[in-house]
Amino acid sequence: MTATTTEPRPAGKHASEQAAETSPNRPRRQRPAIGPKLVNSLGAAVVIALLGALWEGYKALGQAWDDKIPGLGWKFPVATDDMSMPHLSAIFHALTEPASRADSTTLFSYLITETSVTLREAAYGLVAGSLLGLVLATVFLYSGPLRKGLMPWLVASQTVPLVAIAPMIVIWGGKSGAPPWVAVTGIAAYLAFFPVTINTLRGLRSPSRVHLEFARSIATNRRQQLFLLRIPSALPFVFAGLRLAATASVVGAIVGELSAGTGRGIGRAILTFAYYYSNGPEKLYAAVLVAAVAGIVFVELLGLLERLALRHRHTA
Amino acid sequence: MTTTEISAPIIAVDGVSKRFNAGTDKEVTALENIDLAIRPGEFISLLGPSGCGKSTLLRCLADLAEPTGGTVTLNGKTPRAARQDRDYGMVFQQAGLFDWRSVRRNVELPLQVAGVDRATRREKAEEMLELVRLSEFARHYPWQLSGGMQQRVAIARALSADPSILFMDEPLGALDEMNRERLQGELLRIWSDTQTTVVFVTHSISEAVFLSSRIVVMSARPGRIAASIDVDLPYPRTAKTRTLPEFFDKVTEVRQALYGAPSDQAV
Repeated sequence: MTATTTEPRPAGKHASEQAAETSPNRPRRQRPAIGPKLVNSLGAAVVIALLGALWEGYKALGQAWDDKIPGLGWKFPVATDDMSMPHLSAIFHALTEPASRADSTTLFSYLITETSVTLREAAYGLVAGSLLGLVLATVFLYSGPLRKGLMPWLVASQTVPLVAIAPMIVIWGGKSGAPPWVAVTGIAAYLAFFPVTINTLRGLRSPSRVHLEFARSIATNRRQQLFLLRIPSALPFVFAGLRLAATASVVGAIVGELSAGTGRGIGRAILTFAYYYSNGPEKLYAAVLVAAVAGIVFVELLGLLERLALRHRHTA
Repeated sequence: MTTTEISAPIIAVDGVSKRFNAGTDKEVTALENIDLAIRPGEFISLLGPSGCGKSTLLRCLADLAEPTGGTVTLNGKTPRAARQDRDYGMVFQQAGLFDWRSVRRNVELPLQVAGVDRATRREKAEEMLELVRLSEFARHYPWQLSGGMQQRVAIARALSADPSILFMDEPLGALDEMNRERLQGELLRIWSDTQTTVVFVTHSISEAVFLSSRIVVMSARPGRIAASIDVDLPYPRTAKTRTLPEFFDKVTEVRQALYGAPSDQAV
């Protein structure tokens, strides 16, 4: 994305200083007639169509050849019957059917409702985890002993399997009398804080020597150095961390729902459809599809925020 | 500007030494026993080969490095106090502008740090941009400017808090020859407009001769002052100055101070 939307570097753009000096009012960005954005959107659509064709093509071949490569007798890695690989049309059709016999709402609107519950938990978790990450990074910037003492524990916290941690958090949440979604949010935050901490710390330390010496030459105090130089320098790094944290918080919320007895959320829905897989495999595929699309939308919303925050930088 | 003029030095360097890795087997003496007095309004160039300690000396003046011996006084204060009082502005070889701030907001930065109110610092920044003739680029961002223009913004930024001293560490070193000569002319105009004292580090002999009222020639290993040469070419100096026989005589004089008497040997 960046390679096609950024302008050439200033060095290349201003081969002749004379030209630059005489055209002060030149527009900030020049776009070609067919924007790179349109090309990207078309490309994305083509990729999605190809993936769909691959799914259906593989299934058609398997059905025609009885899941064996003719002549060699090798078996297909994945069976192609309707139980293993429902038709795309069946998956999309399932979305328009009622979610259950007891309920007349369509599967699609049911999934959207549950997904919005999950995304809300993920968003709260992302905000809480990111705030913690930002604070930790700033503390670590100024305190070497704290950084060296705590960092191994933070790394350890992320290597312990989530399935072990999640029930603990749910139980602690339950004991303290908080509603179940609080524990789910806690699990999302638990996964989100780490990439934000690491990337923000890296970013806070990213100012070049000339920037730091200039800041010293104008007698910035520590607070000014942080707010006028280090934090602005860190922003691109912070957003890289936030993107990772956003995906992690969605995973955390979904896994959290499985452990918590919330009865709500897309994680819960996926678990239910997995349990009744043989009754309707296309429902599980539909749920996974909706969860995946929702995750993409969630992360892209963050990307929008990033583009807004970094709009004046030549890398943005 | 003549050397016989008697005024108290604005910058006084007394017996300054700087050793790196002192006490280890990697000890390097960057500066040894430097004495230097700079009077208000002078344009001083510190000239010498790479590794002669000219940048280290400038950094000691600016409180970006600490001498291991001797004392430095700026405006009668320690370098630290002078830095805290923003008595000097500094320009580096790289412009070092803040990418995320417009040109005007970059120039405002020293004033913002000093706690000057928004309206005043905006007015001052616009005045400074006029000084370096970049008013129409106030709303641009640094990456939209060429290297030479960025360096002019850096000069405006260094001067925005009205310092009495301007330190410049090879500020034109990254520019091509044409831009370099044009900026030298600009710099002399800015110097005469603002009446600041300039200490300018360079390794270009012709640059030092064209700009300076006095050239401090340094030699390497250990860094010492080899000569102090007054350049009595009259100001304002112009493109024509570069063609005068007196200019070439001065270049030759400085070159001899650097390398010794000319011979047929390759330098």
